[in-house]
Amino acid sequence: METAFFELRGISKYFAKVIANQDVSFSIQRGEVLALLGENGAGKSTIMKILYGLYKADEGKLFKDGKEIKIDSPKEAMELGISMIQQHFSLVPAHTVTENIILGNVKGIIEQKLLGEEIKRLAKLYGFELNPDDYIRDLAVGVQQKVEILKALYQKTNLLIMDEPTAVLTPQEAENLMGFVKDFTAQGNSVIFITHKLKEVMSVADRIIVMRAGRVYGDIKRAETNELELSKLMIGRDLNWVNKDERQESLDQEVRLELQQVTLQEKTGVPALKDISLTLHKGEILGIAGVSGNGQQELCEIVCGALLPTKGRVLLDGEDITERKIRDRIDLGIGYVPADRSSDGMIMDMSIAENMLLKSSYDKKWQKRGFIDKQKLNQYALQEIRDYSIKAPSPETIARGLSGGNQQKVVLAREVDNGEKVIVFDQPTRGLDLGAVNHIHQVILKERAKGKSILLVSTELSEIFALSDRIAILYKGEIQGVFNSAELTTEKIGLLMAGFREGEVSNDAG
Amino acid sequence: MIFLLSTTIMMGTPLLFGALAEVIAERTGMMVTAIEGIFLMGAWAGFVGGYLSGSLTLGFLSAMLAGLLVAALYGWICIYLKQHQVVTGVAINLLAVGLCSFLYRVIFGVPITPLTVNPLATIPIPLLSDIPLLGPILFNQTILTYIIYLLAPLSYFMLYKTSIGLTIRSAGENPEAVDVAGINVLRVRFLTVLLAGVMGGVAGAFYSIGFLGMFTTNIIGGRGWIAFAICFLGNWNPKGAVIGTLAFGFAEAIAIYMQSTGNSALFPNELFIALPYIMTIVLTVSRKSFSVPAKLGVPYVKEN
Repeated sequence: METAFFELRGISKYFAKVIANQDVSFSIQRGEVLALLGENGAGKSTIMKILYGLYKADEGKLFKDGKEIKIDSPKEAMELGISMIQQHFSLVPAHTVTENIILGNVKGIIEQKLLGEEIKRLAKLYGFELNPDDYIRDLAVGVQQKVEILKALYQKTNLLIMDEPTAVLTPQEAENLMGFVKDFTAQGNSVIFITHKLKEVMSVADRIIVMRAGRVYGDIKRAETNELELSKLMIGRDLNWVNKDERQESLDQEVRLELQQVTLQEKTGVPALKDISLTLHKGEILGIAGVSGNGQQELCEIVCGALLPTKGRVLLDGEDITERKIRDRIDLGIGYVPADRSSDGMIMDMSIAENMLLKSSYDKKWQKRGFIDKQKLNQYALQEIRDYSIKAPSPETIARGLSGGNQQKVVLAREVDNGEKVIVFDQPTRGLDLGAVNHIHQVILKERAKGKSILLVSTELSEIFALSDRIAILYKGEIQGVFNSAELTTEKIGLLMAGFREGEVSNDAG
Repeated sequence: MIFLLSTTIMMGTPLLFGALAEVIAERTGMMVTAIEGIFLMGAWAGFVGGYLSGSLTLGFLSAMLAGLLVAALYGWICIYLKQHQVVTGVAINLLAVGLCSFLYRVIFGVPITPLTVNPLATIPIPLLSDIPLLGPILFNQTILTYIIYLLAPLSYFMLYKTSIGLTIRSAGENPEAVDVAGINVLRVRFLTVLLAGVMGGVAGAFYSIGFLGMFTTNIIGGRGWIAFAICFLGNWNPKGAVIGTLAFGFAEAIAIYMQSTGNSALFPNELFIALPYIMTIVLTVSRKSFSVPAKLGVPYVKEN
């Protein structure tokens, strides 16, 4: 076997309490696409951040072309030809494409024009359409990612590391990205991409490293494995996946929530939501698909009352609730699990029990002679901890100390109780490991079976398809169409998410 | 009128020193809320250095050193210890008030008549100062004003046309991007804070040895905060800072003019002294949109 381009040998990394990586060893060859597969928290990002010099390994060695190397900072990594595109892009929204690409790479006086042309040339070489003078804040996420890639190419990268690169892309954009990966590696460069998506791995990787709990559990050639084997290696046990067949047909057809021509005008004049009409029936899950940032959050906030529509009406059981306050809507039985639990869903420095009471603190049921009835609250929280199998020692545990999945379960437990009629889920499983995802999916289906109406916003198509009875697609604040989930294919929904209209889609995809 | 406008330029000089210092530091995300204390310690050190050595140059050098030290303390607490910028700044400002009056007494005791030095003289620039109207206004000033004529465009050029400027601006918008690009965010922030300290020290010394020729503990009287506000009003841009400075310099000039002509029968003198401060409030409230550096006031903490 030829000498590896880069090699990691026996790398371990310990954070204050947890072992992030233990004895991780693998190598990457020139011209190879390596997939780093594992659940959230498996240590994939950590090991790559070590290779990129963002973290320092506690044990182990790194090699390039068989020679031992030390990488103590991203600067040193870049000098060795390593670039890493973080999951959350490291771009400056207020600056131009050029300014972002040259940050840290150009010294002295900046010749905007000259550099712009150079970047344009580089972009053309890889078939990227880009205007170097555009501001990052005006660009779609897919284009921003291209800027990140160009940044790496500008630094003459030979090893490109991408952390969950397709998480924010439409299926078509993802396909383009994979095309780029093939071109790039064909020139003798290497790519490592971090992912938890099995399909992606099978379509583009040459070799797969499976990680679990900070260790390597498999180093397999793509041709010698299959999705089932990989998922077992990744999770370490069999999961009882939610199947469409297990779901009962939606029995009740009575309308519960109705949005009539809802428009939300932003201060800048651009409508965040435009003329949205949707109906949500009893015992139904309505999935809202779309690339994030197309009005999903606004839609959710209009239903729960955090935003008031500029035009249009919101009806609950036929009653106009357009002008009702958030608190009224909580009392009416609308629950809301926001996308960003850490900023909108809970207070990190409060206990589980306190977080449980957050949205109904005014309720007499929690009070005893004007004070909070601690005993009752703790009992309730303890019951929820058991029901939702939240891993926490007691109701007094501070939320910050919980894992992401367990924090989400706390929010979920509270909102499922609040939402006696309607529950809005905005990206309920984002960033969670498969075990937690599975649990949350089961909760959602259970609530549906009880006859609750569920609005499910997700950017993960697999989640939308697995749970929804009907699917609506949001693009730039408009509904692209509402479909029964059986009517849609991944390709068709992808085109709708990218802004094509139904008529245009059915001709070439359908 | 010429007196008013040339006084505007004169009184604007230290404010612009402070405001530019603040613009550069805030662009990296550091609100230098210790600016009032930096001004004050600069005024104190400038006076002490100048009085004891008999040289104004040495006075200004000691002011720069004092500003640097106060800024280093502030920067160390806020950048490396990651403490709250406003709280730290307020604490340092209070410390400066106590420290300078204490040290003044330790060195000079309690003099019966206030100690004085000869303040900076104006240097008329040959030819240029002969231009009618503009000459006496712009080119019959102290050396500090001429320095700021150079510093203002220079800081604009530095911020927008050089790689250092790009790094500075990026550090305040998305420090992670700077870090990932292999640049030490904390060092960038610390160095700009030190620079702000040096510039703020000079600004402070203007009031003691550049203008009045003496030192009192209330000599700064909130002008550090005005420089802070000018940065705000100028939308974190040296150009805006220049415009804001002219407005505040003019307000100060009116106050000085009214005092010197004894027109206080018409308007109470105190009103004019309060004018710059009233203006700060009015302008801050009336400005509609700001392009605040996204991470202004947020310590940079690497995850884990």
